[in-house]
Amino acid sequence: MTSLMKDPLLWILLGVLIAAVLAVMLARRTNLALRKQNADLQASQGRLEAERQRLANESATLRSEHDRDLAQVRSDAEEETKAALRTWMRSLQVLADEQQGVISDLARVKYGNDSEILADFMTIDHTNSQFGRRAQGIAALCGGWLGRRDRAAPVLDVARSAQGRIKLFDRVRIHSQVNVAVASTAVEPVAVVLAELLDNATNYSAPGTPVEINIQAVPTGVCLIVDDAGLGINAEEKDRASALLNTQGPVSITSLGSPPRVGFAVAGVLAARYGFKVSVDSVSPYGGVRAVILLPESLLTHDLPAPEAENSPTTASEGSPSSPVTAPVAIVGTTAGGLPRRRRAVAVVPPAPSPAAEPDPVPVPEHSEVTATATRLTAFARGTVRGRDTTTTEGSENQ
Amino acid sequence: MSAPGEEAPVSSELVRSYVITGGRRLPSADDLSLHMLVTLAPDRELPLGASPEVRAIWELCAGGYLAVAEVAAHLGLPVGVARLLLTDLADQGHLLRRSAPPPAKSESRLVIEKVLHGLQSLYA
Repeated sequence: MTSLMKDPLLWILLGVLIAAVLAVMLARRTNLALRKQNADLQASQGRLEAERQRLANESATLRSEHDRDLAQVRSDAEEETKAALRTWMRSLQVLADEQQGVISDLARVKYGNDSEILADFMTIDHTNSQFGRRAQGIAALCGGWLGRRDRAAPVLDVARSAQGRIKLFDRVRIHSQVNVAVASTAVEPVAVVLAELLDNATNYSAPGTPVEINIQAVPTGVCLIVDDAGLGINAEEKDRASALLNTQGPVSITSLGSPPRVGFAVAGVLAARYGFKVSVDSVSPYGGVRAVILLPESLLTHDLPAPEAENSPTTASEGSPSSPVTAPVAIVGTTAGGLPRRRRAVAVVPPAPSPAAEPDPVPVPEHSEVTATATRLTAFARGTVRGRDTTTTEGSENQ
Repeated sequence: MSAPGEEAPVSSELVRSYVITGGRRLPSADDLSLHMLVTLAPDRELPLGASPEVRAIWELCAGGYLAVAEVAAHLGLPVGVARLLLTDLADQGHLLRRSAPPPAKSESRLVIEKVLHGLQSLYA
């Protein structure tokens, strides 16, 4: 035993054994620690994954909220812009209308007899009409009003009104076979839409070629057909036009390009609002575009309005010191237009005599008393005119 | 002016005068003076496709002689515009024209007073 104890090999083996046991224990501890760490890490990973998912969801929510807010802000901004433009356009529309009234009055009452001044007034009036139409177009796009007419108007007059609102109005020819009036609420919308179509037609067709409006009755109402002799429009343009013309909601005023092309947008908005149809998808017989406005019966009336009462007496124009002869005139009923039909009493008024042959006291024919009175008044009127007229160039048959 | 939000009334004339003339040059005032009397020639047919203004002139002048100024006033148009339409009709032979009664030579005040007194005694 002692020898065994003294055997160094034993000690070595013992040492090795102890070292091995220690190593195994150490390895086991390390292993356990690592497993624990692994489990911890896995748990942590799961937690982080969940967190990441949550954050991703939150981010998506925030982004959609942001997009919604942005859209809201945009639409609010657009709405506010439109409201501001509506107000501004309204004042411009009122001014343009006032100016037209002033021009009309001056042209009729004051300067009507001077063809040069009158021609200048017409130029101003023409420019003003186009200006008014632009303001109306912007107002329509912004959801504003065009202005209210008091009376229904014959469809031909509505077409002529539209004609007057474009630059190249003298290229427009109107053919009408119908005798129908447009209801008062629809007069301005139809005139503005037709003017936009005419503006397109005249701008996109060869200079000098006519643009025709044909007004025809159809079973469901009345058609206004605008034909030009242009090059027509391509498929892309046609799609854009048809999208704008069939819009049912508001139009974004910022999406119309720069410079904005408002014609079809205005037509679409007004057609949807007042319940008529506009299309540009056919080809005109002249090769250009055929645009059609279809007015339903609901916007038409067959009772043509009574014309305005005659409230302006015989126009006294500048440059005419004497008013025209107001010889006795019998009112014999009214014309179809409602104007009083006046008939000069042919038997009463003698044909214009030459100054030399003017009889001094007009012989009173023994007619009825009314005729006699009329004759005297005629003589008096002629006398006053002669007395007031200072010019001597007037009056002879062969001037 | 009406309140905001309410539709403002539009009162200007629907058909502008340059549309009625078709943008043509207006005849000078010498061609057809304010006092010139016009009437429809007998047995005339209204031209096909006549504008509403020409129709109105046609009806007005069918009754007898009217002065150019009266025609314009009835139509509510500037005299220059009415004159153009009348000139057209006259050129087509639809209208007869006659000058207004000649201006007076200087009548004596006595004659005018006599007329006045005569009238007064008739209607007083």
